[in-house]
Amino acid sequence: MSTSRTLNNAKNNGVHNDPYPNSSHIPRSASEALSRPAPRSKPLTQAQRDFLASALRVNQAGELAATLIYTAQTPVVVASHPHLRPLMKHMYDQEAGHFSTFNSLIAKHRVRPTAMYPVWTIAASALGWGTAIMGREAAMACTEAVETEIGTHYNDQVKWLLGMAEQMEASGEQLGDDIKGLISTIRRIRDEELEHLDHAVENDAKKAVPHELLTSFIRAGCRGAIWVSERV
Amino acid sequence: MAAPSTILRRLRPISARGNLLARTYHSYDHPPPPGPFSTTESTILSASLPHIPSHGFTLTSLSLGAKDAGYIDASTNLFPQGPFALVHYHLLTQRLGLAQKKEVLEADEGIGAKVKKLTWERLMGNKEIVHRWQEALALMAQPSNVPTSLKELAAQSDEIWFLSGDISVDTSWYTKRASLSTIYAATELFMTTDKSPDYIDTREFLDRRFKDVQFVGGVVGSVSQWVGFTASAGLNVLRSKGVRV
Repeated sequence: MSTSRTLNNAKNNGVHNDPYPNSSHIPRSASEALSRPAPRSKPLTQAQRDFLASALRVNQAGELAATLIYTAQTPVVVASHPHLRPLMKHMYDQEAGHFSTFNSLIAKHRVRPTAMYPVWTIAASALGWGTAIMGREAAMACTEAVETEIGTHYNDQVKWLLGMAEQMEASGEQLGDDIKGLISTIRRIRDEELEHLDHAVENDAKKAVPHELLTSFIRAGCRGAIWVSERV
Repeated sequence: MAAPSTILRRLRPISARGNLLARTYHSYDHPPPPGPFSTTESTILSASLPHIPSHGFTLTSLSLGAKDAGYIDASTNLFPQGPFALVHYHLLTQRLGLAQKKEVLEADEGIGAKVKKLTWERLMGNKEIVHRWQEALALMAQPSNVPTSLKELAAQSDEIWFLSGDISVDTSWYTKRASLSTIYAATELFMTTDKSPDYIDTREFLDRRFKDVQFVGGVVGSVSQWVGFTASAGLNVLRSKGVRV
């Protein structure tokens, strides 16, 4: 549980000042996008734009995979353990919310979605279905492994963004609503992902056989997928 | 140690290498990063555009433009890529000009209709210089210029889909942009030989290309929908028989 603890230490309660709670604020039309108030500060540097683009791309890919894992797991897990139905639905609903948040952010900021989209679709469904077939404990171990990686990943992003915000404020630049909104959105989503991690552990994720092998295999896969999605 | 680090360097973020797939973060709070041309270069290039119909995409147009803008002839040395700078500037200004087509963008129409209209508007942006466009195509096809040309084509398709209000963020993001680029490139080439009044033939050619793509897209969509439905129905039949899948 050491990972979970360090992640929780970095928790911050910036949850309630999200200016775009559902991030549904996409300019409806190009003319609306163009009529947005004139920008005041300096252009973002290439490194900053690259980071933001790859962050949004990898997050969308991750949430796509998460929704598909739960979609594939739910019928199998619920068939043998009907009492898990509300939990699975709750986790799925949150993931679907995250997915649509990042979908709209990607469209709004004109970021290229990952080219591996079809690959992640198949891989995530296979992972969800495969672990569900192995039983409730394995399915929960899958959630545990995935959410541990994702929590760390979101935490790194928040750290990077806060560093960027600090730098910009130090040089007298104003931090735009977009970046502020992104930071609080990622924080909120990270906290929800870590909540899933707790649910998984409460539901005997640690009793999966072979727990170590299964979780380290899934975590390695997650890290690989993150690495690839940040790039293509 | 050397080998893995070279490989890693090659696998850096695609956007960081200025690849043609680069579509990096578009900010609404910060001004866009500077474009490829400096102010002086832009002044000379925009002064050169009126000379293209009579002098073509050549160094002559470029030096006439420099003279018009109040610079000496030798200012063309600012452009190491020579007349291709004119082509690039034309592509760039036409692309950015699409956002100003208010009557198309503000019309109460579907995304598809807007994409068609914007594509047509863009083609009409070549009207004044279409008799010289084959020179430009030749310049664009030179190996050293191909990356920039393709990047501009991709950026233009992205711009048209974005301005039309498309918000798809899955694999169709790629297929939409690829098919629009193909359609545009083919129609642009067709237009250089079109002698019909008001480019009626080009218009019909463009409409046929869009219809072809819609037909193929429809077939692919129906087939994948059928496969998905059959697979999930099969799975549900197995589940109803008590098979634990």
